[in-house]
Amino acid sequence: MTVAQVNSLKVEELKQRKTTIEGMGGAKAIDNQHRKGKLTARERIARLVDPGTFHELDALVRHRCGQFGMASKDIPADAVITGYGKVSGRTVFLAAQDFTSLAGTFGEMGGQKMCKAMDLAAKARAPFIQLLDSGGARLQEGQDSSEMYAQLFRRHTMYNGVIPQISIVLGTCAGGAAYGPALGDFIIQVKGTAYLYMGGPAFVRTLLGYEATEEELGGSEVHATVTGLADFVAENDDEAIDIAKELLSYLPNDYKSSPQQAATTDAADRRNTGIVDILPASSARSFDMSRLICEVLDDGHLFQVKELFAPNMITGYGRLNGRVVGVVANQSTVMGGVIDVDAADKAARFVRICDSYNIPLIQFQDSPAVMIGKQEEVKGIIRHGSKMLFAYTEATVPKITLVVRKSYAGAQLCMCSKPIGADIMYAWPTAEITLVGPATASSIIFAKEIAEASNPDEVRQRKLEEFAKAYVNPYVAAERGYIDDVIDPEETRIKLIAALESMANKSEDRLARRHANMQM
Amino acid sequence: MKFKDGTVRAPMPGKVLAVNVAQGQSVQAGSVLVVLEAMKMENEIKAPIDGVVKTLGVNIGDIVRQGVELAIIE
Repeated sequence: MTVAQVNSLKVEELKQRKTTIEGMGGAKAIDNQHRKGKLTARERIARLVDPGTFHELDALVRHRCGQFGMASKDIPADAVITGYGKVSGRTVFLAAQDFTSLAGTFGEMGGQKMCKAMDLAAKARAPFIQLLDSGGARLQEGQDSSEMYAQLFRRHTMYNGVIPQISIVLGTCAGGAAYGPALGDFIIQVKGTAYLYMGGPAFVRTLLGYEATEEELGGSEVHATVTGLADFVAENDDEAIDIAKELLSYLPNDYKSSPQQAATTDAADRRNTGIVDILPASSARSFDMSRLICEVLDDGHLFQVKELFAPNMITGYGRLNGRVVGVVANQSTVMGGVIDVDAADKAARFVRICDSYNIPLIQFQDSPAVMIGKQEEVKGIIRHGSKMLFAYTEATVPKITLVVRKSYAGAQLCMCSKPIGADIMYAWPTAEITLVGPATASSIIFAKEIAEASNPDEVRQRKLEEFAKAYVNPYVAAERGYIDDVIDPEETRIKLIAALESMANKSEDRLARRHANMQM
Repeated sequence: MKFKDGTVRAPMPGKVLAVNVAQGQSVQAGSVLVVLEAMKMENEIKAPIDGVVKTLGVNIGDIVRQGVELAIIE
């Protein structure tokens, strides 16, 4: 053989090895995957990254388990594809579990590959995206598999707040595997094919003695509407990947950088003509706050996070004159916009993620109160509500608060009033910035006077009106400097953009400490 | 993405200010079934889906607890 022939054989061998590996679990397994309405791991990667930008690492890694017939078993790429590529021109590192290869089971070597990809992402200061679709721990490998889960979770935690971590859940994440996504920043879950639970139906049957479906234990409805674990729900794999791409556009590469500014044709000086008429005449009636927010943001676009969880609180991303902002707002069409346990949890986590990644916060206040009553108190509204105060006070990103309407007592503070840390706080003339409403005040401070009057109904009505006139407005707060200005609603976009730009170079230090201890 | 069935529950405790529909009536998603006063707000409780009011569990003036079934739309 000539030198060229010898070398060509070697190159040929590499090609053969790669072809086998890229064939994943084989045609039949791939067919099964497609029949379930799912894409294969490689198809998912191809849809996520820009064409021709994916560079696989560790394709040749092989498991080293000799037990239970495993020695002779080849598992392509050890059931997880890792590497890096570009999403809309930005480098991301990724790992995609391959369900067609031994059900995407998580073994020692595959786990090592995922850890390596995460380590590289952290070193490169680039986001990490994992596409999860696994039958769980590879039981044949015993403790070796378990050790790697621990290694993985340690990394999710160590890199939390350093680089953005997005988990796209496209299959089952059972038991310990469910913790990985929870330790990152965002979870996107596919409806009908993706599940996250500590124990599946078989475990529940054996250990607890009753029947429960995967959907009931950890389907997308459970996590989107009840637990709040899922930040986004997608109809299918394609939509899940599109959501991840858009989400990424609002996030920076790491904690030291800021999100990319986008060009916009939406004028910075666009007046919000007629915006005030979104509010009903009676302040006891609700209105759709998301409409109001969209009227102000660039191109009318708000990208909601945890949209279906605690919908009385709106959290999401948008842009103002091209700059990414995190929006936190009260939605009065749901529970009157009160802040309950779930709403507080949702907002506090969102505030912290924004603060981690240099995303300025804009608050739209319209909350009558923090929720009270037996049911809410025993759920721990004090413990959970305090997280909002904590998160806002700790956050050092620019914080701009607009009081649209109701701003009462605890809710006012939870939604970031000036003493809690708002850099600039504006109010509409429709704002009600005070401690308690007239009815509550009258029932306490005027109780005696009303009871002793010969015409109690008349006196009550008069007192209500007196109190409302004196306190239910934005002007008492403005006179004291508790807010910075009362603005014409038509100038909302102009004022928020200017406030945001004025704070673009904001710097604020905190006292040194090991770490603060927010209620959990 | 939405998850919706036809059971309408009180989102929080409150007093029924208005009942805008009757049993057997056809409703569209988003039409107001009941107005519930709580926390200084008049909360409009809306039909989650198109359908017919199969049961209606409350009257004007009722004080309801959180989670109580207000209506079922089929």
